[in-house]
Amino acid sequence: MRMLSEIMKSSLKKIKLPVFIILYSAALLLTLPQNAYAMHIMEGFLPVNWAGFWFVLTIPFLILGLRSIQKTVTAAPSVKMLLGLAGAFAFVLSALKIPSVTGSCSHPTGVGLGAIMFGPLAMVVLGCIVLIFQALLLAHGGVTTLGANTFSMAVVGPIAAFVVYRVLKKTGAPGWLAVFLAAAAGNMLTYITTSVQLALAFPLQSGGFAAALAKFLGVFAVTQLPLAIMEGILTVVVFNVLTTYNRQELLELSVITEEVPQ
Amino acid sequence: MSGEGNKQQKKRYMLKIDSFAYANKLRNVHPAEKTAFALTTMLLCLIFSSVTLSAVIIILMAGVTVGLAGIPVKTYLRLMFLPFSFLLVGVITVAVSASAGDTVVGANAAEWLVKIKISKIALGITPEGLLAAARLFFKSLGTVSCLYFMSLTTPFVEIAMMMRKIKLPALFIELTEIIYRFIFVLLKTAEDIYTSQSSRWGYSSFKNSMNSLGCLTAALFVRSLHRSQELFTTLTARGYTGQLNVLAPQYPVSAANITLIIIVETFLVISAVLLEVNKFV
Repeated sequence: MRMLSEIMKSSLKKIKLPVFIILYSAALLLTLPQNAYAMHIMEGFLPVNWAGFWFVLTIPFLILGLRSIQKTVTAAPSVKMLLGLAGAFAFVLSALKIPSVTGSCSHPTGVGLGAIMFGPLAMVVLGCIVLIFQALLLAHGGVTTLGANTFSMAVVGPIAAFVVYRVLKKTGAPGWLAVFLAAAAGNMLTYITTSVQLALAFPLQSGGFAAALAKFLGVFAVTQLPLAIMEGILTVVVFNVLTTYNRQELLELSVITEEVPQ
Repeated sequence: MSGEGNKQQKKRYMLKIDSFAYANKLRNVHPAEKTAFALTTMLLCLIFSSVTLSAVIIILMAGVTVGLAGIPVKTYLRLMFLPFSFLLVGVITVAVSASAGDTVVGANAAEWLVKIKISKIALGITPEGLLAAARLFFKSLGTVSCLYFMSLTTPFVEIAMMMRKIKLPALFIELTEIIYRFIFVLLKTAEDIYTSQSSRWGYSSFKNSMNSLGCLTAALFVRSLHRSQELFTTLTARGYTGQLNVLAPQYPVSAANITLIIIVETFLVISAVLLEVNKFV
């Protein structure tokens, strides 16, 4: 009897490590085909104080965005419809999937494209609304994490993309490179911000915030790095098609980019 | 192609949430009552983060959504499984702790339950980590079930009406309404373009897919642009002066419903406090 329990104990010890590794990698693999959800923090995932904190931090940007849109709209009323359509376009894009090498799929954020076209401030408002619809119609993201998700996807991402695009354009880099890097940077910074938000909410007992950040960055890097590159390529393709066939529309749009101040 | 099947399924489910919102048994209940119930419960679940309370909320919301609103059980279960991939990665990541030594350093140093050592760093699961992960898992599912109750019983037009009641900026609400309307138009357009592209081998290889998707996006973008111009022209022709005015439908305010909601929420608060005091998980 005693021997039996001893054997069981030792075998359990032996099993533990490989089982743990297998379970962990299985869980990771399972989630790869559907990593569309890795981008937004899901409903209820953030503690109440952090959820509130990100809301408070996002609201000034929302107000600024609304103000800049209001200014543009009073000057040119048709811009309101245009922004509405752009928001719907962003939502539909997020429901599409980027094909990727592993056969897994995820969606483009459209953050880079939108920021270049409409400027980062208008994107804050559009991004927030798109996130509301993703939560309500797709259960993707959530109401309580709306502040955090808006901050990462609609504040940090567009600003990063816009700054990268403008700086590269000024230094005389080729257009495709500026678009590629802007879109990739928008995507990457969105994901880095999400990791920071998660690490702040769930610091490790030992190592605290920094160690937790490394952990979250590591876990999501597997899926997000290729995605950022993919989004960059896709945005370049979109831009090429637009500049080849729709020069007129782009010229009209550049008026808007000027009217919405940075 | 499994990817395509997946895509079809996803789209069907997305539209399903919206169509259930218009056709469920709680459709005629005042939207303020439904949203208040969902949001208060969600907040309680978030604040107390107790496994027991969350489990009670999951069961309560499932009961209300399936039993009272008449959402089919199968659909409901499928929807509940949608956010599972993020939940799993997130929860496992939270459960895993790292440490430079053999034991966990912290306020209450604990034993590892499972551990791997890579050179000097130990990765593993501690009882505390496991408990935190369990709390998180149930809390997230609890709030998701509240969200589903709201989105499955309340159509967006009524949520926009609520937004107007709490005096959100008119511009913001108007933008959401335009976006909501055109999501469906553009989704149909995107679907048609996708069908015609894939019937011409547009998605046969990785390179083709990237190209096709780029063309689809660009075409969709230009369509949206033209649509917006058309919309503005038609609205101007009908006397648009910068504000979309719609009639809000009237709903009866039910005293019985409000009492019931208050009773349920009070019960949840009391049980949550009792659980907290007794240091129950």
